[in-house]
Amino acid sequence: MEAGLRTELAGIRMQNPVMVCSGTWGNGREYAEWIDPGALGGIITKSVTLRPCPGNPPPRIWETPSGMLNSIGLENRGLAAFLEEDLPWIAGFGVPVFVNVAGFSEEEYAEVAAEVCASGLAAAVELNISCPNVKKGGLHFSSSHEDAARMVSRVRERADLPVFVKLSPRLNDLKGMCAAVARAGADGLSLVNTIPAMSIDVERAVPRLGNVTGGLSGPAMHPVAVLAVWEAYQSVGIPIVGMGGIWGWEDAVEMIMAGATAVAVGTVNFVDPGAPLAVVEGIRGFMTRKGVARVGELVGLAHRGGFRDEGKGRAPGSG
Amino acid sequence: MPAGYVAQIVEKNVFGCATELVLDLPRGFEAHPGQFLHVRCGGDGRILRRPFSLTVSQRGELALLVRPAGEGSRWLCARRVGEELDFLGPLGRGFSILDAGEHVLVAGGAGIAPLRFLALDMRKRKLRPSLCWGMENEEDYGTLPEILAGECDLSLATRDGSAGFEGTALDLLFSQARTESAAIYACGPRDMLSGMARWLGEAGRERAQVSVEERMACGVGACRGCAVPVTDAGATYAAACREGPVFFARELDWERM
Repeated sequence: MEAGLRTELAGIRMQNPVMVCSGTWGNGREYAEWIDPGALGGIITKSVTLRPCPGNPPPRIWETPSGMLNSIGLENRGLAAFLEEDLPWIAGFGVPVFVNVAGFSEEEYAEVAAEVCASGLAAAVELNISCPNVKKGGLHFSSSHEDAARMVSRVRERADLPVFVKLSPRLNDLKGMCAAVARAGADGLSLVNTIPAMSIDVERAVPRLGNVTGGLSGPAMHPVAVLAVWEAYQSVGIPIVGMGGIWGWEDAVEMIMAGATAVAVGTVNFVDPGAPLAVVEGIRGFMTRKGVARVGELVGLAHRGGFRDEGKGRAPGSG
Repeated sequence: MPAGYVAQIVEKNVFGCATELVLDLPRGFEAHPGQFLHVRCGGDGRILRRPFSLTVSQRGELALLVRPAGEGSRWLCARRVGEELDFLGPLGRGFSILDAGEHVLVAGGAGIAPLRFLALDMRKRKLRPSLCWGMENEEDYGTLPEILAGECDLSLATRDGSAGFEGTALDLLFSQARTESAAIYACGPRDMLSGMARWLGEAGRERAQVSVEERMACGVGACRGCAVPVTDAGATYAAACREGPVFFARELDWERM
């Protein structure tokens, strides 16, 4: 991997800026049969909770125009199994592992984050305070700037790794929220989680999802995520991982230009397991075409007037 | 090993309400009855793949047998010979042929697809299964029963009585005398499968396998979207795409299905 794609995120060195979103890649085993996890920029594992979590009653998914709804509900085998079986295995591929942490109380989040840090196998913790699919916990913890900041402080006290906070795009004041969690000690932001959403089967007049509500992901919500990254970049100085409906390299580059230092691809993994690596190749090709030496030069570029200096708007050799 | 493929449709046959698409698969592509292909279907704004059980053609080639039910399956049925399909596969856990004196296949509607494949495997082992197949009416079958009659002991059911037994595949199964130790292999609508599980009782559920149909996103067990309730105290839900789509009837929690 040449230097141009290398990046650094809250002090974590990555060979490229492309990760996989929490919940869309399990803990790696399912997709390791399809692509080399070691070729990714980083891996964000599926939400882990202190105790095993059965998840929500089915149906859990429903396809919508250019998107999908899910209400998985944090199904996972709990922290002990994760630390014993999953984390050591996925950490063995030598790329940074961001462990997505969820819970049902501040204490649980802090406890899980502390144990993950103590394992010595993770690169960072991603706090999921924006899951739309659990009644207690999840979005509840970002219902106010104060609640979110208190959660981040509690986790920060017990975590000695960078802490990323994953936020929902459905906030009254996203900029204020980003600033509040940054002040509370967040090292970075993951933007965004799915958008709370639902669908009704009109023939039966009942909700499509067993949990009634779910979260929208996929290309349909990508522009919403781009705006969130754009606004966060304007309001805080901590790095941003951009995610939400990235389907190809253009979407990833768009996120980076909006202000993301790295990106994570999610729903597209379900359709094309090779998508994350195709995005890496696509970014590489774009950089070559534009004469961009380091991917970091693209971060937030759209805030600075775009390609206009030093002929970077022209293809090499075009004049 | 499952992988991503692009395969050409080399033959298309319409049997009543279902369309058979025979695929030109690469040499070495091996699949078990009950496994499925996760097919990228076209159509505006459709992003997710659709799972379809593998079946076999009259010549034993791997194929899909699709009944138009939603947008994805309608798109698939409209494909022509020469067009290519993009799919992941083969995926999932298939049927296990049990050591039993009698093998009974129970198909509801397009649930015939994986069972026809299973019947072929059974014939290769010198077993002759019996098959109970139910459809709405005679037209739904097309000419497929004439072909299947040469492959197994076939009996048909229609809800309106226009062909064979009047009732469902399940009613037909109930009406026939069976040995206690018969192994049962079923694929069809959820109602059919749960009705059968209740009828079988605990002992019967040990010897019965069902292929469940669920909406799926990833198809490989990562997203946990196709959860089905299981009786295993430690698990609560299983992913139909990876731990299934074929389950022993005893593995599923029918009260919560």
